[in-house]
Amino acid sequence: MTAQAAATVEFAGVSKWFSGVVAVSEVTVSIGPGVTALLGPNGAGKSTMLRLLCGLTSPSRGSVRIKGRDPRGDPDVFRDIGLVPQQEAVIERLTGRQFVTMAAELSEVPDAVSAAARNIQLVDLEPGDPRPLKAYSKGMRQRIKVAAALVHEPELIVLDEPLEGLDPRQRLRMIELFGRLGDEGRTVVVSSHVLDEVERFGSRVIVLGQGRLLAEGDFREIRDLMDDRPHRLRVGTDQPRHVAAGLLAAGAVVGARVDATSVLVDTDDVRAFRHSVAAIAKDANARLLEVVPLDDDLDSVFRYLLARRT
Amino acid sequence: MTASRIYDSGYRPYDGPRLGAGHATRSLVTHTLQRIFGLHRPARTKVLPMLITAIAFLPPAVFVGLAAFLPKQLTDATLPTYGDIYGFISAVVLLFVMFVAPEALCPDRRSGVLSLYLAAPLTRARYLAAKAGAVGIALLFVTLGPPLLLLVGLSLQSAGPDGPGGLALALLRIVGAGVTLAALYTALSMGASSLTDRRAVAAAGTFIFVQATNAVAAIIAFGLNGPKWVLAFSLGRAPFELARQMHGERAIDDFHVATVVLAIGCITWTLAAAAVAWRRYATLQVTR
Amino acid sequence: MNTIFRLVVRTQLTRGRAVALGALGTLAVILAIAARAGADADVNRSMHDIIDGLGLAVLAPVTSLVLASAALGDLAEDRTLVYVWLRPLARWKMALGALAASLAVSLPFVLVPLIAAVLIGGTGGDLLVATIAGAVVAVTGYTALFLGLGLRVKRALVWGLGYVVIWEGAVARTARGAARISVQVYARSLLAAIADYAPPRQAASVGASIIVPIVVVIVAYVVTVRWLQRAEVA
Repeated sequence: MTAQAAATVEFAGVSKWFSGVVAVSEVTVSIGPGVTALLGPNGAGKSTMLRLLCGLTSPSRGSVRIKGRDPRGDPDVFRDIGLVPQQEAVIERLTGRQFVTMAAELSEVPDAVSAAARNIQLVDLEPGDPRPLKAYSKGMRQRIKVAAALVHEPELIVLDEPLEGLDPRQRLRMIELFGRLGDEGRTVVVSSHVLDEVERFGSRVIVLGQGRLLAEGDFREIRDLMDDRPHRLRVGTDQPRHVAAGLLAAGAVVGARVDATSVLVDTDDVRAFRHSVAAIAKDANARLLEVVPLDDDLDSVFRYLLARRT
Repeated sequence: MTASRIYDSGYRPYDGPRLGAGHATRSLVTHTLQRIFGLHRPARTKVLPMLITAIAFLPPAVFVGLAAFLPKQLTDATLPTYGDIYGFISAVVLLFVMFVAPEALCPDRRSGVLSLYLAAPLTRARYLAAKAGAVGIALLFVTLGPPLLLLVGLSLQSAGPDGPGGLALALLRIVGAGVTLAALYTALSMGASSLTDRRAVAAAGTFIFVQATNAVAAIIAFGLNGPKWVLAFSLGRAPFELARQMHGERAIDDFHVATVVLAIGCITWTLAAAAVAWRRYATLQVTR
Repeated sequence: MNTIFRLVVRTQLTRGRAVALGALGTLAVILAIAARAGADADVNRSMHDIIDGLGLAVLAPVTSLVLASAALGDLAEDRTLVYVWLRPLARWKMALGALAASLAVSLPFVLVPLIAAVLIGGTGGDLLVATIAGAVVAVTGYTALFLGLGLRVKRALVWGLGYVVIWEGAVARTARGAARISVQVYARSLLAAIADYAPPRQAASVGASIIVPIVVVIVAYVVTVRWLQRAEVA
């Protein structure tokens, strides 16, 4: 895998173990501007990797660098990092404004109070809310954490399960926000289990399994690289049997299943299939209604990668 | 009839035998004791309880050792009685008291696990009873263990009580005193721990309350020349004095309070602290 | 650093802690009133017992322990230290802010009731100076020690109470070597020297009673900074 031109984060041969349990094993990866999703099942090492990235823990082996600097050795690096941790806990005695203002002051943001108010409004909360954080719901706590993470306009934004506790409308707003931050050229690293929403962040993923790096890059390109697993597509047509026969005869597919209005096909070469399906349909005097990939989504890629691992 | 079987059908409801509320209560006692002593947990959680327990057993162990090596005439003059041993371990016992109940009660509320317990066949009363049982058993280690060690150690060296009658009486007194101390301090520490979610605050609160009762009783009895029976309400001294007197020891000069009065003081504190704990848990809202 | 100072003061001083520590301090005042009012009482002796026995042996260590161990310890226990730690603030400033906040809260809780007790007791200016000196040495030493303890150790309060009750309350009073690693001995020695009381067992000289606590504070502070730098933050 090639490193991005201006990588913000670099992991070089990083391993981390706790009392004999290996959480992360020999991970080498670079993360640059834009949105990158960190995926993996429970226990894959995602949270450990995010903690290593932010300097909250030291690697047992290897090195982590944020713009060339060690986050464990230099607190100045934290100027460029904003973290939304997974845990729900916040400093409960403070109000939302006090919490975000504290974050701004500790990051030496000029006019911390205004910056805090601005960022609280950005996450659809009320800056003047007098209630302490103890009274906040789960979703409100999540949003105030996001506000505190963004208040100093960091270049690197790390989000550990940022959509947890949010209702659908709030989730959409957050996804839009993170996407916008990525479009602005910031480096956004998101760890989430909600794959269909992660897909909306962007297409770059890092997939972990049992502490190891399974894949990185655009998930569609990763899918294409999986030549041990045929692609599945649905071809909608008014002549499903004839189209299926034509596809099988041409060798464009390795398997086909026919129903009343479509053909489900498996093919090893999606590009060749796409080039040939129209011509085959024409020869069969069939109308093509749709050609839809069924396992080109992130969920399928993720499952295939994990299945290869086990 | 097919010979095929499915061994993993995914989720199914449990339809086996249910062991009932009694089993749930006993399980809670066991798990709480494991938590207190750090069993089935990392080694660092064992250090504090084991260290405190070991320090409590140190004085009687030393005296048993002395009895083994010194001539009888010397040991007769230097060895403490079974009641006097509490004077050597009272500080450690109080330290253990400060640690045990906060560890047993506070984390359940702080982490939200209490609501899971109450969703099981455990009423609030059963929950508190189980916790009291676990805390009481833990405290018995330090209120009963050291004098028992002294009794057994000295008896094995023929320096113990005379005859089976003397042995039985000593044993009865040790058990009575140990159980009395354990019951009082269980109630006290549970009362303090029911008032806060933080272990540290519960521990500090227990310590400060004990010191405060000592000081107030001393002020009234000695500073203001008031009635001496108020000393029966000093939580740091009266219980241990009661334990001594249960062994037939005479009252220490400045603490001349009748055994019955001491017992009333201890019972009063036990009931009051238990009432605080019960009231708190009876009215506690367990969901966020 | 101001932000850390304000945050620690805000999170450290809960109503429960304030009430409990205030009640403990009030005891000293009540005892002083009782000593002054008692017809047969030796007021000098009583005041010595109050300041030495309650003030320096109980009030100062317990107050410092409760507040200092909570300064960073509460944040670590609640898993909210990350919101402070992951900021571009030098760790020495972070530790200094927490230490200053702990002292700013602890000293009044100890000094105010003890000074009030001395004034009520009416036993003279030397005891007032001695009380202030002894209490400042005690609170500063304990606060520096327990600040790092709260960060590093779970159940810091019980460990701290164990140190106060068993080590300082028993071991250090009987063994000279142990007395050299007891904050209380230095505070009580300073009190005795200035107020012209009989020195406590295993007493230290006036010079040692000032210098050693300063060294303790510096070493404890440096260790706390180091622990902050190397902390594994949840």
